[in-house]
Amino acid sequence: MADVVVRVEDLHKSFDDLEVLKGVSMEVQRGEVVVIIGASGSGKSTFLKCLNRLEEPNRGRIFLEDVEITGQKTDLPKVRRNIGMIFQQFNLFPHMSAIQNVMEGPRTVLRMSGERAREHASQLLDKVGLSDKLDVKPGQLSGGQQQRVAIARALAMEPKVMLFDEVTSALDPELVGEVLTVMKQLADEGMTMLVVTHEMQFGERVADRVVMFDEGVILEEGPPEKIFQRAESERTRRFLNQLHWEGE
Amino acid sequence: MKYQWHFEVVWENFPIMLSGIGLTIALSILSMLAGAILGMVIALARLSPWTWLRGLAYCYTELFRTTPLLVQIVWVFYVLPLVTGIAFTPFYSGLVAFGLNIAAFMAEIYRAGITSVGQGQTQASLALGMTNAQVMRRILIPQAVTRMIPPIGTMWISLFKDTSLVSAIGVTELMYQARFLAVDTYRPVEIFTVCALIYFVITFPQSIGVNWLYHKYRTRE
Ligand SMILES: Nc1ncnc2c1ncn2[C@@H]1O[C@H](COP(=O)(O)OP(=O)(O)OP(=O)(O)O)[C@@H](O)[C@H]1O
Ligand SMILES: [Mg+2]
Repeated sequence: MADVVVRVEDLHKSFDDLEVLKGVSMEVQRGEVVVIIGASGSGKSTFLKCLNRLEEPNRGRIFLEDVEITGQKTDLPKVRRNIGMIFQQFNLFPHMSAIQNVMEGPRTVLRMSGERAREHASQLLDKVGLSDKLDVKPGQLSGGQQQRVAIARALAMEPKVMLFDEVTSALDPELVGEVLTVMKQLADEGMTMLVVTHEMQFGERVADRVVMFDEGVILEEGPPEKIFQRAESERTRRFLNQLHWEGE
Repeated sequence: MKYQWHFEVVWENFPIMLSGIGLTIALSILSMLAGAILGMVIALARLSPWTWLRGLAYCYTELFRTTPLLVQIVWVFYVLPLVTGIAFTPFYSGLVAFGLNIAAFMAEIYRAGITSVGQGQTQASLALGMTNAQVMRRILIPQAVTRMIPPIGTMWISLFKDTSLVSAIGVTELMYQARFLAVDTYRPVEIFTVCALIYFVITFPQSIGVNWLYHKYRTRE
């Protein structure tokens, strides 16, 4: 029996005259890792931001389990708790220490007691390998460390699904690995994940499914072996070739 | 031509000038408080999701930023009582005019501070499940405050000097007392020189303080 966590039906999104998403449908199973690839401007970020309605879709429906996210009366703060989001630019709160960043959601949104939130946050920071950085401000952390704090911050809300938008693109090459390792660990633990990335090795090793976006539609999708080795579409093959070139 | 300075006149009347300083300081502090509070309301209106409220707040700030302060003071003193039927003493008229004026400038400082925090912070906070009010209170305002302190300092100094304008409506602050004494003693040169010195002695250390604040918060970025 299918256990669908995220269901997207015919999603459309325009910015003024520019139609960025032109009817995207997708189902994500519990524990599935979906890697989204596609050229710059193809609508990948917009798609992720529609999922927690940081962007307002123009048409189509989105469900998290059986709760409709796109409903008129949806309690947005409440559904967003269940959707973790990690950004390219980390977006840590610079006026708070690492552990305060991780505690912020549970304290402010879930009204958890300080003691419990601190306990939980320090476990999560330990999990992402930062148990020695609890009281350090983001400004004093490397990009890779900041991104791991951001992952811990999202995990603190115990989300049902996590969205990653090019989370290693702003990092120096030598710091990419430590973040991908944490993401792989989450995938192994059964976290449901949608990951926009240009890291094809991550896609090959961790993805259950790879989805190719092109000009606001899903051009093709399938298991990583198929997309990376035997893509049907010429455009997908060309896109992947170009990436390998850039990676060289 | 050699002018004969006679500063004795100033010392004889110094208590009168001192009483003026008290009023100058009181007017500055009260105007600042009123403006800081009203300005917050206007800034929140300018950042609100409702177009009509944003428009209203925009008109308010522009109205006070594009008309001369002296005109605003005189208007509040002479015209506001006719329109509203409420007449204030000169001091309270000055306070109302400055409060309204400072609010417009404070609103801009608050707004600039809050919008400078950046879209990413808001998105990250909303994604955690915060409400708009929580984002404001927990994330945006705490970060904006340090950026607001230097421009608020600058504004405070111009406010302190600009209070001299209310002598035009008869508030017996420092400038008014100086004008009064100048006529009374036939010694305008000495009186106004000392008056300028008093403003300088009070304002200069504050100006140094504000420069220090700019330096402190700039290097922190
Ligand atoms: N807030 C916005 N206002 C107007 N246009 C926007 C906005 N956000 C995105 N766009 C436009 O929508 C298109 C898709 O943007 P999006 O960020 O979703 O692409 P992407 O696939 O994530 O690209 P990249 O790989 O560069 O991150 C682009 O042409 C972009 O300029
Ligand atoms: Mg993007």
